[in-house]
Amino acid sequence: MKELFYKFLSLRWFALIRKEFNQIKRNKRLVIMLIIPPTMNIILFGFALNPTVTNLQLGVVDENQSVESRELISALTESQSFQVAKYYLSDNELNDDLTAGNLDAGLIIPNDFAKKRLRGETAEVQLIVDAVNSNTATIVGGYASRIINNLNQQILRANPPKVSLQTFAVEQIPRKLPNITPHVALLYNPGLKNSWFIVSGLIGALLVIQGSIVAAASMVKEKEVGTIEQLLMTPAEAIEIITAKIAPIFFLLTMDIFLALFVAKIAFGVPFLGLFVIFLLGGCLCVLSGIGIGTLIATLAKSQQQAQLISFFVMPPLVLLSGVTTPIEAMPKWLQPVTNVNPIRHFGIISRSIMLKGTDFSILYPNFLALATFCIIVVSISMWRFRKQLQ
Amino acid sequence: MRRIIAQARKELTQVGRDKLTLTLALFLPLVLLALMGTAISLSVTDLPIVVQDLDNSPESRRYIEAFRNSLTFRIVELPTDEQPEESLLDNHARGAIIIPEHFGRDLERGMNTEVQFLVDASDANTANIMRGASTAITLNFVKNMRSAIAVPIKADVRMWYNPGRESSTYIAPGMLAVGLSLFPPLLAALAMSREGEQKTILQVYVSSISAREYLLGKIGAYWLIAVGEWVLSMILAYFLFGLSIKGDPTPFVVCTGIYLFTTVSFGAMVGVAIPNQAAAIQAVQIAGFLFSYLLSGSIFPVSNIPFPFSIISRIIPARYYIVVARDALVRSGDWSGVWHIPLILLGIGMFFFMVAWRNTRKMQVNA
Repeated sequence: MKELFYKFLSLRWFALIRKEFNQIKRNKRLVIMLIIPPTMNIILFGFALNPTVTNLQLGVVDENQSVESRELISALTESQSFQVAKYYLSDNELNDDLTAGNLDAGLIIPNDFAKKRLRGETAEVQLIVDAVNSNTATIVGGYASRIINNLNQQILRANPPKVSLQTFAVEQIPRKLPNITPHVALLYNPGLKNSWFIVSGLIGALLVIQGSIVAAASMVKEKEVGTIEQLLMTPAEAIEIITAKIAPIFFLLTMDIFLALFVAKIAFGVPFLGLFVIFLLGGCLCVLSGIGIGTLIATLAKSQQQAQLISFFVMPPLVLLSGVTTPIEAMPKWLQPVTNVNPIRHFGIISRSIMLKGTDFSILYPNFLALATFCIIVVSISMWRFRKQLQ
Repeated sequence: MRRIIAQARKELTQVGRDKLTLTLALFLPLVLLALMGTAISLSVTDLPIVVQDLDNSPESRRYIEAFRNSLTFRIVELPTDEQPEESLLDNHARGAIIIPEHFGRDLERGMNTEVQFLVDASDANTANIMRGASTAITLNFVKNMRSAIAVPIKADVRMWYNPGRESSTYIAPGMLAVGLSLFPPLLAALAMSREGEQKTILQVYVSSISAREYLLGKIGAYWLIAVGEWVLSMILAYFLFGLSIKGDPTPFVVCTGIYLFTTVSFGAMVGVAIPNQAAAIQAVQIAGFLFSYLLSGSIFPVSNIPFPFSIISRIIPARYYIVVARDALVRSGDWSGVWHIPLILLGIGMFFFMVAWRNTRKMQVNA
C-alpha cells in the first residue's frame, strides 16, 4: 500500500503533470473554452427560459355593455395578467383573430349578463383560451378562475343572497356562506423567478459537458498528432499517463464551479443558503463524471470532429432527461425512472437543494451516492479502454 | 446549371460514403425530435404533497379526498415526527396542505375558514401550476358545498386548438424547427470547412466551376438532404405526436423550403469562414442549436425574452419558422397570419448566402 502510494507520487508522475500544465498554459483556446461557454450558457438560459405569464392579449366581445360587464373586464385587466387588445362586435371577428394567433384569449359576455346578475341568477360568460401553448393555457385558466372567484366573493359579500322563510314572509334573513380561503405560501423562491430554477440546475449540466469536451479534446489531440506513441516510449506506465492527463483538467474545471456560482449570483441573484463544502464535493464528482464520459468518447473517436459528433449522441439526451430545464414530473411515466442513472439529475437535485433550500448532507446523501457510483463506473470503464488502446 | 447539378451529385455521393455523417444526417434528427418532443413538457402530474390535518373531521377528510382525486397531486404520508416544512426541505413533497382546527365546525356554521398551502417554489413554473390547481380544487369544493346558492358569475373556459392541453402539440413543432436548424447546417459547415482544412478547395479553383455554382451545388445537395430530414420528421411527428398538416398546406411547404435554404446557407457561411472542422461544429452548435433552442420561442413565448436578447431573437430564422409550423400543425391557419414570414426568411437566407459567396471567392487566397 505504502509502496503504491510512493510510486504514485514519484517524480515521474509530477513531471508528467508539469508537462500537461505547460501544454495547457500555451493553449489559449482551452482557457477561452473554460470561461466563455459556461458564462454564456448560464446567462442565456437564465434570461431566455422565462415562463412568466403577464400581459396576455385578451379580445373582448361585450354584447351587454353594462356596468356589470365592465366590472368583470376591469377585474380581469387590473392584475396585469390580462390586457385588452381589442373590442370586437361579433364572435366571428374574435375567432378570426384567435385563429391568426393575434390573441391569447377571448372573452364573450352575452347580452343577458346584467339582467341575470341583478336577478341573482348565475350569469355565464365564455372564456376562450388559445391552448396551443398548453403551459400558458393552464396558467391562464388558473388566473381567470382566481380573478372571477375573487369578484364573486366581493359580490356575495356586498349583497348576501337572501332566503325567504315562508313562516316569516315579511322578513328575509341573509344566508350563511361557508367559505375556504386558501393562503398560498411560496417557499424558497417567493418571487417565482424561473431563472433560479434553471441556473441552479444548469450548473451540473455545464460541468459534465465542459468536462467531457475538454477531456475528449485533450485525449484525442495526442492520438491525432501521434504524440501518444512518444509518451508510450517513456518508462511511464499507462495509468500514470492517464492520471497525469486528468489531474490538471480536473483542477481547471473545478474553477468553473466558482465561475458558475459567481455568474449565477451576479446576473440573477440566486441565493446560496447551504454549505459550500458539500456543493463543491458534488461539483467535483460532476466534473469527474464529465471527464470520464469525455475520455470514453475519445477512445471511440479518431479525430477532433468525430469526437464532437459522437458527443451529439450523448449530451442532448443527458441534458434533456435531467430535469434541469423542465421538471421530471412532466415527463412520461415510463421515462421518469430512466433519469435515475443520469448524473446531471442527481447534481441538479443537490445544487438546487443546497442553493435554494439550504438542505444538508444527511438528506442529500442518496444523490451523492448515486453520483459517486456513476462517476466510478464511467471513469473506470474509460480508463480501462484507454489503457487497452495504449498497449 | 449542369455544373451545379454535378457538384451536388458529387456532394451526395460523398455523404453516402461516410457512415458517421449519414447517421448524423438521417438518424440523429429523428432521435432528437422524438426525445425532445417526449421529454420536454411542463405539464406536471402526480406531484407529491403532504397533508397536516389538525381538524380530522368528516369535512376535512372530504376536502383531502378532493386533492387525492386530482391528477396534479398525489398525497404522500407525512411522517408523524415531521413538520410539513421539513418534508419540503428534504424533497419528500413538493407541497403541503395545512388544515386548521375547527375547519369542519366553521364550515358547518357557514363561516370562513383558512387553509394554508406551502408550495416548493424552487421550480417557479411548477409552483405556479400548483397554486392554480390547489385554488381550483378549493373553489370547486366550496361550490359543491353551497350548491343552493347561485354563483354570480361563471366562466365557461374553453381550450381551443389543443383541448387536451397536450404539451407535445406545442413543443414538437418547435423541436422540428430546432432540429432543422442544427443538422442541415452542421453537415454543410462540415463539408465546407473540410475543403478548407484539407486544401481540396484548390482543386475546385483549377476546375472551370465558378464560386457561385460551387456554392449553389453544395447548398443544393444539403438542401435535398434537409428536405429528406423534414419528410422523415413529419412522418415521425404524425405517428408519435399525432401531428399533421391541417388546413392550407402551401404556407408551411413554401416556408419549409425557404427555411431549409436559410439554415443550409448559414452552415455554408460558417464552413467557409472557419476552415477548421472542430471549430466549425462548435460555431454551428452555438448559433444553430443554442440560439434556436433558447431564443426562438420553442418552449416559452418569445415575448418573455428580455431586452438585449430579444434583438438577437429577431434574426433567428427558427423564430419565424416555428410560427408557421405551429400554425400549420396545430391551428389550421392560412396565409393571412403568416404572409410576411417567407419574405423575412428569404431575406435572412440571402444575407447568409451572400456572405458565404463573398468569402468563397477569397478562400483560395487563404488556402
